[in-house]
Amino acid sequence: MNLHWILSILVFSPLLGIVVLALLPKTQEKVIKAVGLLATVPALLLALAAYLHFQWGKDLADFAVSVPWIQFRGMGTQEPVFSVYYELGMSGFQMLLVVLTAVVATLSAIAAAKFVKKEWKGYFMLFLLLETGMLGVFTAENLILFFIFFEITLIPTFFLIGKWGYFEREKAAYSFLIYNGLGSAVLLIVIMILFGKTGTTNIDLLTQMMADPNVPLSSDLKLGLLIALLIAFGVKLPIFPLHSWMLKVHVQAPPSVVMIHSGILLKIGAYGLIRFGMGIFPEQFKTLATLIAVLGVINLLYGAFLAFIQTDFKMVLAYSSISHMGIVLIGLAAMNEAGVQGAIFQVVSHGLISALLFFLVGVLYERTDTSLIENLGGMAKGMPIAAGFLLAGALASLGLPGMSGFVSEFMAFLGLFKELPWVAAVGTIGIIMTAAYLLRAVLGMTYGKAHREFTGVLDLKGVEFVPVVVLMLLIVLIGVYPSVLSAPLQTTLETIMLGIGG
Amino acid sequence: MGLSTKTGRCQALLGFDKIRVVPGTARRGIVIMMENAWLIPLFPLLSFLILLLFGKRLKEASAYVGILFTLASLVYSILVLFERFSEPTYGTNFEWLTIGDIHLTAGFEVNQLNALMLVIVSLVSFLVHTYSKGYMNGDERFPVFYAYLGLFTFAMLGLVISPNLLQTYIFWELVGVGSFLLIGFYFYKEEAKAAAKKAFIMTRIGDVGLFIGMILLFWQTKSFEYSEIFKAVDAGAVSGTMITLTAILIFIGAVGKSGQFPLHTWLPDAMEGPTPVSALIHAATMVAAGVYLVAALFPLFQASKTALLTIAVIGAFTAIFAASIGLVQTDIKRVLAYSTVSQLGYMMLALGSAGYVAGVFHLMTHAFFKALLFLAAGSVIHAVHTQNIEEMGGLWKKLKFTGPLFLIGTLSISGVPLFSGFFSKDEILAAAWEGGHPILFFLALIAAFMTAFYMFRLFFMVFTGKPRTEMKNVHESPANMTYPMMLLGVLAIVAGYVNTPWFGSFLGDWLVDGNPRLGHAHVEGPIWIMIAATVVSLLGIFMAYLMYYKRSLARNWLSGTGDTLHTILTNKYYVDEFYQLTVIAFTKGLSYFLRFIDVFLVEGLVKGVVGIVQGLGRTGSRMQSGQVQTYGAVAFIGLALLAVIYALTGGYLR
Repeated sequence: MNLHWILSILVFSPLLGIVVLALLPKTQEKVIKAVGLLATVPALLLALAAYLHFQWGKDLADFAVSVPWIQFRGMGTQEPVFSVYYELGMSGFQMLLVVLTAVVATLSAIAAAKFVKKEWKGYFMLFLLLETGMLGVFTAENLILFFIFFEITLIPTFFLIGKWGYFEREKAAYSFLIYNGLGSAVLLIVIMILFGKTGTTNIDLLTQMMADPNVPLSSDLKLGLLIALLIAFGVKLPIFPLHSWMLKVHVQAPPSVVMIHSGILLKIGAYGLIRFGMGIFPEQFKTLATLIAVLGVINLLYGAFLAFIQTDFKMVLAYSSISHMGIVLIGLAAMNEAGVQGAIFQVVSHGLISALLFFLVGVLYERTDTSLIENLGGMAKGMPIAAGFLLAGALASLGLPGMSGFVSEFMAFLGLFKELPWVAAVGTIGIIMTAAYLLRAVLGMTYGKAHREFTGVLDLKGVEFVPVVVLMLLIVLIGVYPSVLSAPLQTTLETIMLGIGG
Repeated sequence: MGLSTKTGRCQALLGFDKIRVVPGTARRGIVIMMENAWLIPLFPLLSFLILLLFGKRLKEASAYVGILFTLASLVYSILVLFERFSEPTYGTNFEWLTIGDIHLTAGFEVNQLNALMLVIVSLVSFLVHTYSKGYMNGDERFPVFYAYLGLFTFAMLGLVISPNLLQTYIFWELVGVGSFLLIGFYFYKEEAKAAAKKAFIMTRIGDVGLFIGMILLFWQTKSFEYSEIFKAVDAGAVSGTMITLTAILIFIGAVGKSGQFPLHTWLPDAMEGPTPVSALIHAATMVAAGVYLVAALFPLFQASKTALLTIAVIGAFTAIFAASIGLVQTDIKRVLAYSTVSQLGYMMLALGSAGYVAGVFHLMTHAFFKALLFLAAGSVIHAVHTQNIEEMGGLWKKLKFTGPLFLIGTLSISGVPLFSGFFSKDEILAAAWEGGHPILFFLALIAAFMTAFYMFRLFFMVFTGKPRTEMKNVHESPANMTYPMMLLGVLAIVAGYVNTPWFGSFLGDWLVDGNPRLGHAHVEGPIWIMIAATVVSLLGIFMAYLMYYKRSLARNWLSGTGDTLHTILTNKYYVDEFYQLTVIAFTKGLSYFLRFIDVFLVEGLVKGVVGIVQGLGRTGSRMQSGQVQTYGAVAFIGLALLAVIYALTGGYLR
């Protein structure tokens, strides 16, 4: 069977939904929501099929597609001087991110159907475009294509925040656009230099070429390019001090968008650092390893300490994201199997956990019109099930064994303790602080005396159970049986380790 | 035959296909019970899941679900224990997580210590399940309570059959969560909320020690397996400094969990949880996990004199420190809580003095008599609806079963001869003396005096004299509460006879059998130690008798002239206040400082970036003025710049 077109269908299937939506009248609320939700399903099914394909022992390379796309010819020559291919592919790592994206996107569509109160048509069209962008980012096999998809994610996000967000939504949207735009510009420069120097943008080819000592790039230039990548993806991750835009987005964007943003979009930063930073420039990454470890610890502690004094639960989660992305950096800086695998686990794990927590924030906000910790005090009485899931989500986030957060945190630290034990030891303060700020916030909201009677406050019901239960089950599955993630990752890890030469 | 193929298929289904018997323990005979010991923790897990999903519908019937499943665990544990008497250690592993060429395993192991712990944990848990049916009757979150009990029991049983450090850590954290949920069971009470949070965070401080120690040890020995670690330590593959460092780090984990100084303050606060929980978690099982951890890793600790000394000193100090606080507390549960802290200190002192058997022995007897005391205290609270002993009195006649049972527990913990606590405490004192710690020995002896004193102070104030407040409807608890207490009462008396200097040290012989690293089965101390222990215990009881029964000694006789000592003790040496002023204040201060940075520096950066972008934009738009001269100038400057760059770099970035 020819599987080459599967990925293209997977990536572009949400666009079909856009076409259908375009033909619908604005007022058909129910139909619009249904179409928006259904349009995410083909990608989800195909992503799961790809996972099963791997589990049945088949090669993910079956999905790779490569056709000539854009070519520049010199005057009078037949051979193209520069050619860009349309190349999609999947390694185990990419497949996991695609599955994560597809799952979170579908659940986010459910959240949107519940929580978005106006102009559903526009919302879902932008949302589906965003999904295509994300899926493309994780399957693109060359830098130009990656960049195009990367930009496709920016624009819908900008509008989704700016139009459907809370009170200061426009400010948040601009802040998002400026920072990410600058990041993109830096990224584009890196891509163009690489393209100009080597004549290709194929990621695997570039990885091979950079390992070759005869490549026409001095090690200084490589280091410069890596630092540029670190900045470009550091904005996205985000790395301190490039984080302030994402605080605004976390607070101002609608919950269904934050699920995507915190769950997937931030992960593009981690993906870029791993695939391009560490993948293409392993030597230079090594020279920066200590710096990255220190940055990771700063992220971890800075986010944790600031989360400790926030009054708005959304801000707690925003700083918590910064803190948790520190674990990704810590794992990467270790540059051994344990560390890198921990970082990748953290990417997936945090995607699931933050999606869960932000969905619950949406639930709470819908009922109470607030996300201030103080105002919500004692809500476990009125909505015990939601409170229970909130607590379980917080426990997952603080790295409770048996849930996904622990496995990733454990491996990241395991890795770094081998290479830089002192830096890692300082980082473990973050483990304590994470428990402190999450319990402070969650117990502040759920335990204690109810300060305020919320009239008509209802517990989780109906379709709201779907995202909560699905995410929780995945979190526990990874925590109890981490092989579901580690098995697909082994080849990717081998490739990376080969590059590092360790 | 039929049975064994069935188990084989079952194991294959569960991924146990890579079965590997622990090296050096060849299988003899059929070990059908031990082979399936992994079922033991699964019963309460099942109970947890069932109650979580269907608790609302089951209502009061939830209790039976919980009781039946823990009974299954108990029966199975006893069968395993009996099988372990005649068969060698059994263990098996399967692969859990692959990291490159590191293969981490999960599994279980039934050695002597684990088999004993299985029985202790499942027994106390079963009794507490039964007792709670009466105690928690009428609570609207009754099924939730039983669900949490199931979760905790699962984690605790999982902890005690873990064959490696990583798995131990996993269950270690899970018992912490079970404890956290149950302390905060009355979630609407501010005190319960604070206590639950405090318990979680303070034990987590210790857990980080364990976490670091475990990882450092892994990179030294390339394994989390206990057997591999001991092998590496024996072979001298780990440097002395590293052994000391990792051993002390792991001990910090035990300090947190077992409420040892300076991480003890969460344990008395944990009394905010329902009383059966205090009996199960904060007396008999979880808090003893720290002691269990040190015992399980004993060969590692034994390789470092410094580590052992640290344990002994912390243990002895905690024993006397907590006992002195216990002298003045007026809340019945808090007195018992401080006595728990103090008794755990004893166990640590034993282990630190190389008295492996003494530590484990006291762990066992303490589990029984302290669970008894807590359940009896719960029965008292159930009857009089207060925890303040100043408001009680004269309950002996009204509580026909609870009174005598409480007395048995009190006699046992006070170390009165012939009760179980006497034998195990004697074993500890002998170990401390023989271990060459005379100062620690005397500290422990003084603590024993204090224990006898404050326990009988408690007993006399609650059960004798006249009621100090009006109490209506005081009645004995129902049978499902008294029966578990009676069973524990019997155990609190007889459990000591498994290891006595008079009739033989069965427990000790069995515990160290085939494992010379664990030291002697029995430490033969000088005879005067036993006499001294008896004397101080009786002296303590006598003083309590004079002060609280006869009242021939004034109650402020001890504090004498000033009230300073009394104030310090009632305020628990101001440890909480000290933490408030240092650690917590520092954390808050640092957080606010970082917020200052976030608001001014980072936001400043943002403004700068925005300013530059806007500035560039404005300049750019001003350039679009339609004046050809400007365009020409810009083009020329650009060209010149390019030429300069070309001249300098040769046209290429390198």
